Amino acid sequence: MTMSHDHEPDHTHEPPAPAPVMPDDAGSQALAEALRSSFAIVKVVMALMVVAFFGSGFFTVGPREKAVILRFGRPVGEGEKILLNSGWHWSYPYPIDEVVKIPITEIQKVNSTVGWYATTAEQELSGEELPAGASLNPAVDGYAITADRNIIHTRATLYYHIENPIHFVFDFVSASNTVQNALNNALLYTTAHFNVDDVLTRDVAGFRDAVLQRVSDLTEQEQLGIVIDQCEVQSIAPRQLQDVFTRVTTARENRNKSLNDARSYENQVLSQSGAQASSVTNAAAADRARYVQSITAEAKRFSDLLPKYESNPGLFAQVTLVQAMGPILTNVQDKIFLPERADGKPRELRLQLNREPPQPKTSPSNP
Amino acid sequence: MKRNVMTIVIGAVLIVIFALLLFVFQVRQSEVAVVTTFGKPTRNLTEPGPYGKWPWPVEKVYKFDQRVQNFEDHFSQNLTADNNNLLVMVYVGWKITDAKAFFPKFAGGSTLAAQSMLESMLRSAKSAVVGRHPLADFVNADAKQLKFDAIENEIEQAVQSQLQTNNCGIGIAFLGIKKLGLPENVTQTVFQRMTSERQILISRFQYEGEAEAQKIKAAADRQAAETIANAEAAATRIRGEGEAEAAKVLPVFQKNPELENFLLRIGALQQSLNQRATLIFDERTPPFDLFQHMPANGPSRQP
Repeated sequence: MTMSHDHEPDHTHEPPAPAPVMPDDAGSQALAEALRSSFAIVKVVMALMVVAFFGSGFFTVGPREKAVILRFGRPVGEGEKILLNSGWHWSYPYPIDEVVKIPITEIQKVNSTVGWYATTAEQELSGEELPAGASLNPAVDGYAITADRNIIHTRATLYYHIENPIHFVFDFVSASNTVQNALNNALLYTTAHFNVDDVLTRDVAGFRDAVLQRVSDLTEQEQLGIVIDQCEVQSIAPRQLQDVFTRVTTARENRNKSLNDARSYENQVLSQSGAQASSVTNAAAADRARYVQSITAEAKRFSDLLPKYESNPGLFAQVTLVQAMGPILTNVQDKIFLPERADGKPRELRLQLNREPPQPKTSPSNP
Repeated sequence: MKRNVMTIVIGAVLIVIFALLLFVFQVRQSEVAVVTTFGKPTRNLTEPGPYGKWPWPVEKVYKFDQRVQNFEDHFSQNLTADNNNLLVMVYVGWKITDAKAFFPKFAGGSTLAAQSMLESMLRSAKSAVVGRHPLADFVNADAKQLKFDAIENEIEQAVQSQLQTNNCGIGIAFLGIKKLGLPENVTQTVFQRMTSERQILISRFQYEGEAEAQKIKAAADRQAAETIANAEAAATRIRGEGEAEAAKVLPVFQKNPELENFLLRIGALQQSLNQRATLIFDERTPPFDLFQHMPANGPSRQP
């Protein structure tokens, strides 16, 4: 339209006749002028709109997300390249392209409470839970049945992150619900082949690992494209039976304590008897060595003395006796010499035996 | 003429856009579409991308979510093969696999209608499958006898085959048991049984602990006595060995028993007079017999 105004003068110049009309038409000239300037504005606006149209195709992907461009509804790229990393990207504006952003590194969590009695987080925190009734209403109270057909309550929290967002977003209406149901199923399944004491006390870690294993298997089968980070499981006996379960625990602890006491007694007795046994055998061995050695030494002495004795037995005996009497008399405490009476009669001698009592120190203390 | 070119270009662009809007539609990833010609479903589109169509009223496009949808049925009571009442709730992941079949089946492709049909199928499948299994197949400590997975598969297959015979255009992606339960009055009986089982455990732990501790202590005592007896036997044996060894030496003394006798007596004398002894002797005892030959009134009579 603006161009047609530029060309108008060319057409009017061909027939020269209407030239004088121009001055009369000052109003239309002003109008043309006004139109021209307004069209210029429209041009600028259109150019801006075109820029804005293409510019609107820029978008950013945050550090914790990925994006997928759908061109005519189909993801652009192949395999891993479908996913756009964080940074600036450009796509054609809608309706050609559509950008889908997916949170990825964030850890997500789901809870399973199908095996827990009716309660809320607020009630639990404030300790104002409704008291347990005599029975469990299946419509309200959840529980799980163990392999030995006991009823227990068990609940779990699963932490996971998305590894393959294409599956997670484009294959499931509500993938997190699906994860939750997998967790529900895993709790139920695992409880069904554990005995009540294993779940509650004996093998708590084994139970948790089994739940985790089942959830991983299920989510893998269902191709959810998630990676499981962690699984927390909590199991309790029914509140109605809490008391009797506690008593079992106490009884078990008492039993363990008396067993431990018995074992420490056992250790003590055995090590004592071992020590005693080895001292008995060692003493015997020492006795043996001493005896053998002394008799050997004796024999040697005998052999050494024999030739001397045989050469003159009487002299030898006298010499040896006299030699022996020397040290004997030195060791003897009291020596009394009784010379023979001149008349040859025997002397009468009175001995006060029992020499122990006259000890000067002990006598005053003994009344 | 430039003006005409520009106008034509712009006009053509507008016409193309208009035509595209009329004749082309997109099927998004995660969607399936069915195209109806005069109200009858004619084309089934499962792949994402742009497609052409005749404008309304000739052809019309209906799009459906192709993703897996979650559905959970009611917690319903079923009788197991061994006549236990068991409440079972299952969850199903289902998806539209054939939009052309799905669309006419459920008044304009209503998901709710599909789910209510699914629910009735689940109900019958569940009661049939649960009725074939005893309770021990649902809960069992022995992994081989636990038929949890098998039960889930049987329900899934029963529903799957019903869906196929009815040609619903729905497929089951997965099915699992979400909740198991017992009727409310049964839970009370279970509690009573559990309580008595616990009480048995309590008394067992008490007596077992005492008996076991007693056993350990007695065994320890016995073992200790045995060890000491063995050691004493060994000691006797060792001493005996020593005596046997010494016996080898004894023949030496037989060369002259008199000397040995003499030596032993001297040794005995030495030992017996070793300490705290009082010896009274006269001049016949050597070496004091020396006194005999001294003058009788010698000055030294002190001890």
